Amino acid sequence: MKIRIVFIFLFLSSLVMACSDENGKEFSARDVDTKSSLVLAIGGEPEDGFDPTTGWGRYGSPLFQSTLLTYDQDFTIQNDLATTYKVSDDGRKWTVTIRKDVMFSDGEALTAEDVVFTYKTAKTSGSVIDLDNLEKVEKTGDDTIHFYLKKPESTFIYLLSTIGIVPKHAYDQDYNENPIGSGPFEFVQWDKGQQLIVKENEYYYGEKPSFKNLTFLFLSEDATFAAAKSGEVDIAAVPPTYAKEDVPGMRIETWKSVDNRGIMFPFVPAGEKTKEGVAVGNDVTADKAIRQAINVGIDRQALVDGILDGYGTPAYTAADRLPWWNPDTVIEDGDMERAKDMLEDAGWIDNGNGIREKNGIQAAFTLLYPAGDQLRQSLSIAFADMIRPLGIDVKAEGKSWRDIEKLMYSHPVMMGWGSHDPLELYNLFSSNTRGIGHYNSNYYSNQTVDAYMEKALRARNEKEANQYWQKAQWDGETGFSAQGDAPWAWLVNVDHVYYVREGLHIGEQKIQPHGHGWPLTDSIAQWEWDE
Amino acid sequence: MSMQRIDAYATPTKSNRSERQRAWTRIILALLLLAGIVVWALLINADNLKVNLEGRNTAPSLAHLFGTDWLGRDMFARTLKGLTLSLAVGMLAALSSTGIALFFSLLSSWNKWLDDMVTWVTDLFLSIPHIVTLILLSVAVGGGFKGVVVGLALTHWPRFTRLLRAEVLQVKEAEYVGVSRQLGRSRLWIARHHFLPHLFPHLLVGFLLLLPHAILHEAAITFLGFGFSTDTPAIGVILSESMSYLSTGLWWLAFFPGLALVIMVSIFELLGRSIRRLAETSSG
Repeated sequence: MKIRIVFIFLFLSSLVMACSDENGKEFSARDVDTKSSLVLAIGGEPEDGFDPTTGWGRYGSPLFQSTLLTYDQDFTIQNDLATTYKVSDDGRKWTVTIRKDVMFSDGEALTAEDVVFTYKTAKTSGSVIDLDNLEKVEKTGDDTIHFYLKKPESTFIYLLSTIGIVPKHAYDQDYNENPIGSGPFEFVQWDKGQQLIVKENEYYYGEKPSFKNLTFLFLSEDATFAAAKSGEVDIAAVPPTYAKEDVPGMRIETWKSVDNRGIMFPFVPAGEKTKEGVAVGNDVTADKAIRQAINVGIDRQALVDGILDGYGTPAYTAADRLPWWNPDTVIEDGDMERAKDMLEDAGWIDNGNGIREKNGIQAAFTLLYPAGDQLRQSLSIAFADMIRPLGIDVKAEGKSWRDIEKLMYSHPVMMGWGSHDPLELYNLFSSNTRGIGHYNSNYYSNQTVDAYMEKALRARNEKEANQYWQKAQWDGETGFSAQGDAPWAWLVNVDHVYYVREGLHIGEQKIQPHGHGWPLTDSIAQWEWDE
Repeated sequence: MSMQRIDAYATPTKSNRSERQRAWTRIILALLLLAGIVVWALLINADNLKVNLEGRNTAPSLAHLFGTDWLGRDMFARTLKGLTLSLAVGMLAALSSTGIALFFSLLSSWNKWLDDMVTWVTDLFLSIPHIVTLILLSVAVGGGFKGVVVGLALTHWPRFTRLLRAEVLQVKEAEYVGVSRQLGRSRLWIARHHFLPHLFPHLLVGFLLLLPHAILHEAAITFLGFGFSTDTPAIGVILSESMSYLSTGLWWLAFFPGLALVIMVSIFELLGRSIRRLAETSSG
């Protein structure tokens, strides 16, 4: 018996040694060719493939394709394919001229014809790309394109910066799985659910990236972390909860984001119904005092420290720190006393069992979060506990998105937004977008805000537009931020956390939008190894 | 399933008595433990279930026997709450399953055709993997508390039905039943006065042995995401949540709740087996 145990032990230990030997070899073999190739596990496999006309690349760079314009670190617009762009006096005609030396990765030249084709295809694609306002698009010659808009729209410039140009000659039904473009990288292979392999585009006109091959692995959070630990990937995206772990040979990089989470409050009293029979409104959250008191009472920094382990920032609007953000929207929070006073003044009185009441209505509501989203669940539970001392009884409940969609006009929901396009503000807060998809689920409406946002859309340049976007948030009297009508309680912006191999520089990143992963790749041309 | 095994003969009288004594001791011990779990869970201070962001992710200690989770909630309190919920759901489901099994077994005593039907339905349910039927039913009913209970109740009766049916068929052929029938007693009268008293010990033992199965299956489908919604303090939910924290080293999130579940299930097995032993020795 004893001998047998010894044998088993020897066998096991030799097995372990064999394994570690193999790993060692593999590691050194990899090291040699990692200079020109990278393995990334940054998640975000696009379900619809890589077709920019149906939404690929709207978060960050399209990788395979290039865009007419682009924006830099500070969100200033720069030329990419374009050489100049001009807006007519009435704001309805945009004229763009493009470079003549650009070729697609198959060696064909990129002309104005391809640009016109791309925008026409995107307009009729019925996808998330909203080109409703584009009346027509025409070209003159090989390098000039005219866009005619139905109404002036200052945010059209962000569409020009996110829609990658597809080749007319090579576009067919399978394009999304076999993309060809003029971007820095060329498509090689996509194994759905597993990996994407790309190589350098030799015809690329811009700054050449220092990597010839990239492999994107599509792994679960757990597997990503395991892959980082075993040295199989060079960059790994992980949730903040993993970030305190040390991984040998890798360092942690965190990037600030507008990837926010906040609570959407129904803005109108209960009673109405949508055409589909979904109830609209909530008597408790329709009271401005409740919404404002919650905004003042919650301790955002405590949520950042406690739930994100410090990997985040307090959120005050849907667009924190972007050029169209109004810094006056930052409020003093975590002030329970002031919050209580606000509730008392508004007539919400403790009914004896710790819950406030006004006109027979209890200050209580159910906060919904998508079941399975651990971050939103944690935030919801912590929020409910944090707000109870105010005398507001919150029950956090997890539901599927399908169920939430039937309840979200009448119940507060833990949502997340954050885009590089200020049009998102319009979609979230305009009277015109009430109850359209997930936009403006609050049924929020404020004429002054509407007027400012209309002016922002009609503005002739971004600077002018940004002023109006800021006023829509808070103009000193009203606005859609917590200072004003407070239709939301924004809680946190989630930092995007990556393990990056020591010695690999991935440059400075913009403030990251909602959606992990791809935004990182838009600075890929600057990535390099330490010499 | 072990409850199908029936000891064919009784043991000698002397060892019989000590056997019975030991069985009684085990039963009392098991009942005390279970009562302890329930009472403790009822006495839990609500503060322990509260979010406490300063004290999150702490390893097991005297203040927090099972450690705390990523929101600083005491895992011991959460585990106890989860166990009582599992217990309640298991009771409800096992009771319904027992009822269904009893109904079917009495039905099969009616005539040949009904007996064939009952056997056929039983075989049908036994031919599909248990967990698949369970998930199917739970989702079809709409999930949540209702889904779990209905799913468990409708999937745990077939084996038990087989056992009861065999017992009923056996008693049906007994002389005293024949006499009653010749005296003109109705079928219902016979069922109530002859079948039920005979089946009662089987029902009790069967119910107790169904409980651990029901509890484990409840935890299983909840873990797989088809049972309770994530805001319910069920053991299955606790276990599936802890999965995403295992790789960061928070082993106590899964270990203690899992262990507690296993212990509670074992207690029920012990209780069931002891009562069966008691029933067997007394009738012998």
